[in-house]
Amino acid sequence: MTPPPAMPAAAAMTRGAELPDSQTNRDILAVMGRPSLGYFALLGLCVASVGLAAAIWIFQVYQGLGIGGYTHPVFWGIYIVTFVFWVGIAHAGTLISAILYLFRAKWRNAINRSAEAMTVFAVLTAAQFLGIHVGRIWKSYFILPYPNQRGLWVNFKSPLMWDTFAISTYATISIVFFYIGLIPDLAIARDRSTGWRKLLYTALALGWQGTTRQWKSHTRSVLHLSGLATPLVLSVHSVVSWDFASSIVPGWHATIFAPYFVAGAIFSGFAMVLTVMIPVRRIYRLEKYITDYHFENMARFLLLTSIIVSYAYGTEYFIAWYSGVEFEKSAFWLRAFGPYWFSTWVMIICNGFIPQIFWFKKARTHLPTLFIVSTFINIGMWFERYVIVITSLSREFDPAVWGVYTPSFYELGILAGSFGFFAMLFLIFLKIFPVIAIAEVKELDIHHKAAHDDPKVHGAWAEGAR
Amino acid sequence: MPALRGVFDQPTPVADVAKRLRNRGFENLEIYSPAAFTELEDAIDEKPSKVRAFTLVGGLLGVFTGFFITIWMSWDWRIVIGGKPFASIPPYVIIGFELTILFGGLLTLVGLLAVGKLPYGSFGKNDKGYDARFSAEEFGLVVECDARDVAEVDSLLRAHEAKEVSVVEA
Repeated sequence: MTPPPAMPAAAAMTRGAELPDSQTNRDILAVMGRPSLGYFALLGLCVASVGLAAAIWIFQVYQGLGIGGYTHPVFWGIYIVTFVFWVGIAHAGTLISAILYLFRAKWRNAINRSAEAMTVFAVLTAAQFLGIHVGRIWKSYFILPYPNQRGLWVNFKSPLMWDTFAISTYATISIVFFYIGLIPDLAIARDRSTGWRKLLYTALALGWQGTTRQWKSHTRSVLHLSGLATPLVLSVHSVVSWDFASSIVPGWHATIFAPYFVAGAIFSGFAMVLTVMIPVRRIYRLEKYITDYHFENMARFLLLTSIIVSYAYGTEYFIAWYSGVEFEKSAFWLRAFGPYWFSTWVMIICNGFIPQIFWFKKARTHLPTLFIVSTFINIGMWFERYVIVITSLSREFDPAVWGVYTPSFYELGILAGSFGFFAMLFLIFLKIFPVIAIAEVKELDIHHKAAHDDPKVHGAWAEGAR
Repeated sequence: MPALRGVFDQPTPVADVAKRLRNRGFENLEIYSPAAFTELEDAIDEKPSKVRAFTLVGGLLGVFTGFFITIWMSWDWRIVIGGKPFASIPPYVIIGFELTILFGGLLTLVGLLAVGKLPYGSFGKNDKGYDARFSAEEFGLVVECDARDVAEVDSLLRAHEAKEVSVVEA
């Protein structure tokens, strides 16, 4: 018997010049299309604010840190506050990518790419503040242990050294994580682009073709990186908190600091993801991929971490009173009713009270509410760091050396520039890289389709594919 | 040697036919898939990926480096604090931990490149059997076989829901 002849390759290729594609590819790659006028306006605004901040910084290098609002005894000001804030923002991405990956929470893969990008950008923003905060930037490399003529080594007993290692490790690992996750999607973009984009994606995709060998090492690498990044994400903000907690300053010297900071970081990170992704979903019509279900889950996370953070606030006050230590008691009394009462109450209301609205399903699924509440949380979390850093320093042990710190115009300009920098990177990211992990969405889609065809596997996958 | 390419819509038949082909002695198989599916990976190679060895070595190297540099540097530049030992282990655990993660993560990346053989091929050129459809939502299975086996492989592919079979290499 003669078998049916195999179709020659040429016949397969004459199916028309139209590129083979899927709906998922088209929808998500459409985000990278020609930018609108509004996009350029927003990008211009960001670039302008970064430019202003850069000018201020150059002026500060020339003039010295004295142009800031520093006054004895407050020498950690807005720069450290904002550094801690951005490190906190950086926590959502790795949490979603690593921890939720290990827990097999399928809902993560609509938001993990953008959250990872935010992690990378937030760490890069935060890292700059270490340089801005040290007045003599040209000596900042002294923090690294490198062989030098002085025969001198750094002191690893200093929390600032731990911080250096934690932040640089976090930055490196989150970039690696982000890139590895991108490789398959870059190949998708490579197959569907022309011109400079084709060159860029061909270079970055490393010749990815989705062979089993490639996928196997890819999934294993992501798994191992998740295993490594899970303790890392919990450690980074713990180490940042020890910058404070290992001192004896009243208001800083607390064993609760590490978990308190980590919960706060996850809280603020998720809030930032929501603040950014709600408009992105709307503008680029990604409702099919980022559903209300995803947002609702994130709102639940916000509620949980809000409760943890509120509990930590309560514990701080309780221990200050219960310890019977005069300095602790007055430090916390002055937080709430001293010269910085405003920031303290902003913090408590934005982080403790407002998110309680998420007990109601209506609020969790109502996007304007979600957007407004998450914005309030961002504000509240910035003020939390302000309260911790500034109030504690300004009211130490001896009333004779108390002082009041007010941020200067220059510091606020650099603060604004940091938001501009973060937004600028994110806007560029939107146009260069796929904003949703396409391959991961497809994995669910294909399983979902199979589940509908095959009643045997229906139950198992229908659940996971949500 | 000719190679046949089957195009599929679902991963399960691809995995089945890959196993059948390997049982019949066709070892030169390549599967292209738009996403990761464990059944496909296991159909080609049951052994666990070697990436884990890279991660392990990286992690061990990191923890060793972390403790080594901290302890050695404390002894090389001594900071005298009362009668306390120069090297203080508890704070050094943090450095050891961070470097475990850092080296482990970087070597995992190296592992991905080495085990996954990336960067693959020459710049801008794909395998002959590769098609942009496989970065859309279809699956491809390319199998090398002797000219006399073409008919057998072809019918096997079609029997497993291949919606199209073509010769990609003459």
